[in-house]
Amino acid sequence: MAQSKNLKCKHLHDYLKTLPTSVLDRLYNHPTTCLAVYRELPEIARHYVIRILFVEQPVPQAVVASWVSQSYSKDHTTVVDVLSGLRVWQEAAIPGGLLGWILNSTFKKNLKIALLGSGKPWSMSSHLEVDSKPRDIPYLDTYALERWECVLHYMVGSQQQEGISADAVRILLHAGLMKRDEEDGSPVITREGFQFLLLDTSSQVWYFILQYLDTVETRGLDLVECLTFLFQLSFSTMGKDYSTEGMSEHLLVFLQHLREFGLVYQRKRKAGRFYPTRLALNIASGHNKSHMNMHREGYIVVETNYRVYAYTDSNLQVALMGLFCEMLYRFPNLSVGILTRDSVRQALRSGITAEQIVGFLHMHAHPRMVMAGPPTLPPTIIDQIKLWENERNRFVFSEGVLYSQFLSQADFEALHEFAQESGLLVWSNAQRRTMVVTRAGHDDVKRFWKRYSKGGN
Amino acid sequence: MSEESESSLLVIILDTNPGQRLVQEQAHVLTQCLESVIAFANSHLMLKAANKLAVLACHTKATEFLYPPPETGSQSMCRQHDGQYELFTHVEKTIRQSIQKFVVHHIERIKQEGENTGDTLLAGALAMSLCYIHRLERELTAGAKMNSRILIITGSGDSASQYMNYMNVFFTAQKQNITIDVCSLDQDLGLLQQGCDITGGLYLKIPQLQGLLQYLLWVFLPEPPIREKLVLPPPVKVDYRAACFCHRELIDIGYVCSVCLSIFCKFSPICTTCHTVFKTPGPLPIKPKKKKIKLT
Repeated sequence: MAQSKNLKCKHLHDYLKTLPTSVLDRLYNHPTTCLAVYRELPEIARHYVIRILFVEQPVPQAVVASWVSQSYSKDHTTVVDVLSGLRVWQEAAIPGGLLGWILNSTFKKNLKIALLGSGKPWSMSSHLEVDSKPRDIPYLDTYALERWECVLHYMVGSQQQEGISADAVRILLHAGLMKRDEEDGSPVITREGFQFLLLDTSSQVWYFILQYLDTVETRGLDLVECLTFLFQLSFSTMGKDYSTEGMSEHLLVFLQHLREFGLVYQRKRKAGRFYPTRLALNIASGHNKSHMNMHREGYIVVETNYRVYAYTDSNLQVALMGLFCEMLYRFPNLSVGILTRDSVRQALRSGITAEQIVGFLHMHAHPRMVMAGPPTLPPTIIDQIKLWENERNRFVFSEGVLYSQFLSQADFEALHEFAQESGLLVWSNAQRRTMVVTRAGHDDVKRFWKRYSKGGN
Repeated sequence: MSEESESSLLVIILDTNPGQRLVQEQAHVLTQCLESVIAFANSHLMLKAANKLAVLACHTKATEFLYPPPETGSQSMCRQHDGQYELFTHVEKTIRQSIQKFVVHHIERIKQEGENTGDTLLAGALAMSLCYIHRLERELTAGAKMNSRILIITGSGDSASQYMNYMNVFFTAQKQNITIDVCSLDQDLGLLQQGCDITGGLYLKIPQLQGLLQYLLWVFLPEPPIREKLVLPPPVKVDYRAACFCHRELIDIGYVCSVCLSIFCKFSPICTTCHTVFKTPGPLPIKPKKKKIKLT
């Protein structure tokens, strides 16, 4: 009921499964995609693949099954499903009538290329001359963050609204993160949008890109081409420039879009080179990405007296906190808010779940808090936020059948006793001689009543 | 979040001692091993984006880091020249270049000094990698977790002369929760086997050198937390004999200093390690009966 729609951030694996097999096969034609897919496999699957990477014949299925110890055989079955689902390996017959597994030949070839070399370079960057004004990593980091926060700012509806294009707005609308207001047609944020804001940056980027890829074909771009380029980008090196030479017209359009969200940096549209930023690196890992790669330090301190201190000067971050906090003071580098029942309930009403609030506080916890932990956050606060959420779920609906108008108290009591003993009773009132039994138990109670009234008479 | 956010650090120690039997018989074996080790190292990096790698080489005189290269300030990372992932190309090139420098330097030194004796300084290399691991663990951001392990690939024989150093290193590793794996190319190694057993690592003497890469990928690629899920070679019985401090020989029965626990194969009146003076062994003295205090 209340938990209508929660924002689902799909893994790469889930996404790829939605693609038709022909697309999947074409994707494996490039080492980068193979590498990306490989990294997102379950851990045991990764070992399976590497074990048979250098084996040319199919390996008997029984042999593969024996690689995992008995107590973990469930893991084995899921791994087999995943690998077959992604068409990483296929069934093959072995002389002697046994069934075996063999790696998808394109996948195998390209994974080997990625690991050991040979084949064609991914881009034409080797012919690129040295950039006269190279950009260093801190510059790229600030640039990427600035661009990305532009998008978030727009969603929160803060004053800063420059620099977001119609295209980006269209994606936000398509993703259901914003919707057109019924009155004036201006985009307003939806409940999914609020949930989106509380995700960590890498998950946000990945979610956003997934939504973008959905619309890619309507723009006349080739999905496979774009995905390949995206993975290529995700395996590039920070602080290095890459050439746009040899890229098709479509890809250049795609590159411009990525530039807008801050995934790549280009000095000029026609510069002939681009720098990937941290947002683009390891993009497919989504929220699996460890905190180590996070480029931003935590800034939130939560105290047991419900006060929340945010050591930040960013309007966006203060606005995000304002979603579930009552803001008290604002200083140049510090904002103070307080978690109250009302402020949290307001957040809950707008579709944010308690878990997301706690997750947000946890993710951005100040290093001092992390060091003092675990637990990082005061458990009382976490419990209280969850209690406030549960408060909203006071009604529990359960289907039942009403029994009333008993002729005598004895009849009522007999039936009441039976229902209670067999655990079918939902509610009863002795004075008014009414009771409710569960839907499933109705037949049993009815049968008992028939027997009882016959025997009684 | 739980398992996936952990990174894993693998430190590989390569023995480049020219005195190894394998190298003396066929010099190209070292190159072959190097190819396998590089492929193995890259496979480790391929498993997870957060995985880290360090490679050390050691011989009779020195130990050096091959990868990561010492930071020189200038980012001279090469451009991609074929379909290989840039990071892997970088790893491969760095290791090749630095091992070449390392070996050539060693040969020159041998020529100058005109001798090459002694065992490989594996214990020293282990100590260096422990320090490196310790540094990286301190540099981790709060809350992040890293599994570290060390893999020794060697073709040398047992060197009891470093017994003390080995034991110190093993117990430090055990205390720091660092697994030590050993891959022996030539002979059975009693001492290092003890190290594996102490730290919960795997020991494997490779039956066939041609299959080195496959052995490495099968046995040593899974990191310790996932090893329990996979079926791996069962632990063999470990030879826990200690080496005596006087002649550095493995002994079954010996004398132990009651103060510092040094081991000797023959009785000596003064402990060479802590200089404690012992009485000459005679018949055991009869214990005087102690007065018991009666509680009323």
